[in-house]
Amino acid sequence: MPASSPQALNTLVQQLVPRTRTDDRLKSDLAEVCRDILNSHIGHAREPDVAVLSELIKRQIAQTSHDPNASIRFSNLLARLMEQSVLSRKQSVLHFLQSIGPAPRPTSVTPSAFLPSLRVPPAPRSRASRVPSPEPQPVPEERERARTQAEILRDYRARIGRSHLPEHLLLRDTLFLLQGISGKYVRFAETRPYAEDRDEARLVFVDDPNQRFIIPSPTRTLILRISELGHLYIRVSSFVREREGKPGVGMIEQSLCHYLQTQLTEYYRLVAVLESQMAHSTADNQRDDGLTLRRLEVWIDEWRLKMRMMATCVEGCEDSHGGALVSLIHGHTSNGDPFVRTFTNELLEEVSKPFFEILQKWLFAGELHDPYGEFFVAIDPEMAHLHQAGSDHNALSADGGFGGGGGMDDDVQREEGEGGLRLWQSKYIFSKDMLPSFVGEAFGKKIFSTGRTLNFIRYTCQDSDWVATRNKMSNADRNLQYSDIAALERSIDDAFRIANQRLFDVFIDKFKLMDHVRALKMYLLLGQGDFVEQLMEALAPNLARPANTLYRHNLTATLEAAVRASNAAQAPSDVLRRLDVRMLAYTHGELGWDVFTLEYKVDAPLDTIVDPEATTAYLRVFNHLWRLKRIERALSEGWTRVIGGARTFLRVPEHERDWHQTRIVLAEMIHFVRQLQAYCQLEVIECSYKALVDFVQKKEGDLDALIEAHRTYLDRVTKKILLISPKAGKEEYLLGQLREIFEIILQFRDATDAFYGHTLTEAARRDGERDAERGIHVQTDTLPAPRDDLKRAVKRIKEYASAFSEHAQAIVHGCQTHPDLDCRFLAIRLNFSDFYRSKKDKS
Amino acid sequence: MSTARDSERLSSAQQTIDILHEMSQLLNTKLDKETLVTCVQMIESGANPEALAEVVKELRRESQALQAEERENGRPGSSAGGR
Repeated sequence: MPASSPQALNTLVQQLVPRTRTDDRLKSDLAEVCRDILNSHIGHAREPDVAVLSELIKRQIAQTSHDPNASIRFSNLLARLMEQSVLSRKQSVLHFLQSIGPAPRPTSVTPSAFLPSLRVPPAPRSRASRVPSPEPQPVPEERERARTQAEILRDYRARIGRSHLPEHLLLRDTLFLLQGISGKYVRFAETRPYAEDRDEARLVFVDDPNQRFIIPSPTRTLILRISELGHLYIRVSSFVREREGKPGVGMIEQSLCHYLQTQLTEYYRLVAVLESQMAHSTADNQRDDGLTLRRLEVWIDEWRLKMRMMATCVEGCEDSHGGALVSLIHGHTSNGDPFVRTFTNELLEEVSKPFFEILQKWLFAGELHDPYGEFFVAIDPEMAHLHQAGSDHNALSADGGFGGGGGMDDDVQREEGEGGLRLWQSKYIFSKDMLPSFVGEAFGKKIFSTGRTLNFIRYTCQDSDWVATRNKMSNADRNLQYSDIAALERSIDDAFRIANQRLFDVFIDKFKLMDHVRALKMYLLLGQGDFVEQLMEALAPNLARPANTLYRHNLTATLEAAVRASNAAQAPSDVLRRLDVRMLAYTHGELGWDVFTLEYKVDAPLDTIVDPEATTAYLRVFNHLWRLKRIERALSEGWTRVIGGARTFLRVPEHERDWHQTRIVLAEMIHFVRQLQAYCQLEVIECSYKALVDFVQKKEGDLDALIEAHRTYLDRVTKKILLISPKAGKEEYLLGQLREIFEIILQFRDATDAFYGHTLTEAARRDGERDAERGIHVQTDTLPAPRDDLKRAVKRIKEYASAFSEHAQAIVHGCQTHPDLDCRFLAIRLNFSDFYRSKKDKS
Repeated sequence: MSTARDSERLSSAQQTIDILHEMSQLLNTKLDKETLVTCVQMIESGANPEALAEVVKELRRESQALQAEERENGRPGSSAGGR
């Protein structure tokens, strides 16, 4: 040991061997010997730590010293020593003291004979140190006696011919059982392998034909316990084998089988090891390190749990499939037993691989590649061909389109057009049962929506390049797997966001969604005032004619003229192209007003949002607004006539009062209609439209949200304009009232016209009379006295005026109690000066 | 300053040695204080404790043998080169 100086060694030698102080030669000899010892390998092997050392030392003290306090004193000393900072190798010093300590034991105080055996068995030190409070060893005599008793028993049994079956024979059988094979003494009963009653003992113990041996009942129980594993093994392995050859086994099941197969291979390994152990023990039965039934049970304990889990999975496979199976397995991951948990996690990692592969394709490419229907998104078989049609169409247009293919193209287009929304809504079906429980329903919906969006972008919006690029990009750095759920959720969120962002962009930038929605508002909801005015002006004479005399081409020409004459001519041609007139199916006796309608055509993929249902709603609202417009026009015309005419040439003094009344009623009607129009345009359409625009600008949510937003917009418009009440059975009560009031106004107009005519005749007659008085010759007999007609006309006007008043009151009253706030506001508008209320109160 | 630290060091070394000596007495090692100090020094300078214990035992044996020889011969020092 190079570190120890010879000086110190010499001192040591001198201290211990006093004679060397005088004898130098002896000293150097001894020092040489000592150095040899120090340099030898003694004690290099181990370096025990302080705790072990102190334990050893205490034991030594306890053995050698009579003082009961000695070990406590030592503990105190040790604690104090540990506080000292001078020594750097306290442990080694302690070790030294301990090593040198035992030396004087033989010369120390004589230990009592019983003490060591009671305290610590000295020989197997290692064992003693493991057991801190050793039990008293059984005295050898006792052991001798016990053995003798066992032998006596065995002899007795042999005498009466019912000795126990040697264990090694049973052991071999048990090993067979583990592999699902019946042994010689123990075998599986020949019952149905998948009997419902699983508790029924299916193990049969075959008695020795010569009745020489019996199997004692504790051993039977033990074997039964062990054989559970064999039974489970049969189930699992038969399942794996059964699935191997079967066609149409889902990928998730396949990977389950794969995993089970790996596990079974491990199991075979265990059995092989056990078998070699058994060979060992049978070769030398006397040795106690061989295999016994009890040891076997301990060995296979872990496998029993594993097998149970596997069997559970196999059972689950019987009636669930795909994602549901993954869910089922996932249910076990929250098991309280950490072993089961780990095993399940491992299993799940393996089993969920195909699931994640499908998920990845779906999430990043929008493709559903699921030949066995295991994913939680399923395709509607009826819709599948649409997808095909879409891609065919793609291919065609990508080719630059063959000239002759136009007709076919159109067909495809129409087919697609019909199914725009249907395609989006029902091409893929979300099946909650198949959703693995670790994904969570909210995320499942997100995944579903993302894939659907991608698919939609790809096929309906014909933007597959983008999807393909995205797919490549995201494939590069993403690998979805079960163990990293957090990353999975992140990926889902990202994909969801990006896909929908893209969808919005496509809709708004490429397909100009908002332009079309605006156009719909402008034309179908009569937002473009000058255009509507022009159209009304040009069409009014035509529309007053019976419906069957109208021709669509005439109307179209009128429409074009109206467009050209108004600011609408500035609108993009793509928008104007879609604007068209149409005549609804008419029955005999209907006027052009009843059947005329504007139309705005949308094609794929916009028809996903402006679906046929929405188109109907637009038409309905248009119809109403158009009628309102017509009333307004009629009233304006009547007003000019009445005001202008009555002042100038309708000079019939006894009817001045009637005319005045008529003008008042007319003003009331005009007020009513104007307020109604203002309400429709300003309160309803513009406000709703703003909400829609705000939503679109946010670009949040998916296509569903967009459709929903548009639907809400349209719904709001329809409900408020048509004053639809949510009360069941009375939804259209106010609308009916409105229609009636429109009717009354028109009839009133007719009546005023008649009155006007008659007044005019009367005025002319009086003029003639006056002329005759002045001597101018006129043909008086051509103008009969129309007194009765005039009276009738006045009466009609009065009737209609009071009818209008009643209806207006009813409408105001209805609007006042309407649950919708805007409708109530309409009542305030109409009844601003409490005009209608006061009348009602008076009555 | 340095002297203060030295004295502190000295007293603590003294304490340590006292503790160790008491321990060795408890363990019945029969080492006197000086020998103990020497041994501790050697261990501190890197000697293997178990080997050192062997050395001490060996030297004790040697000393006993020499004493016995001395008692036999009756006179000291003559057979110094016995080994």
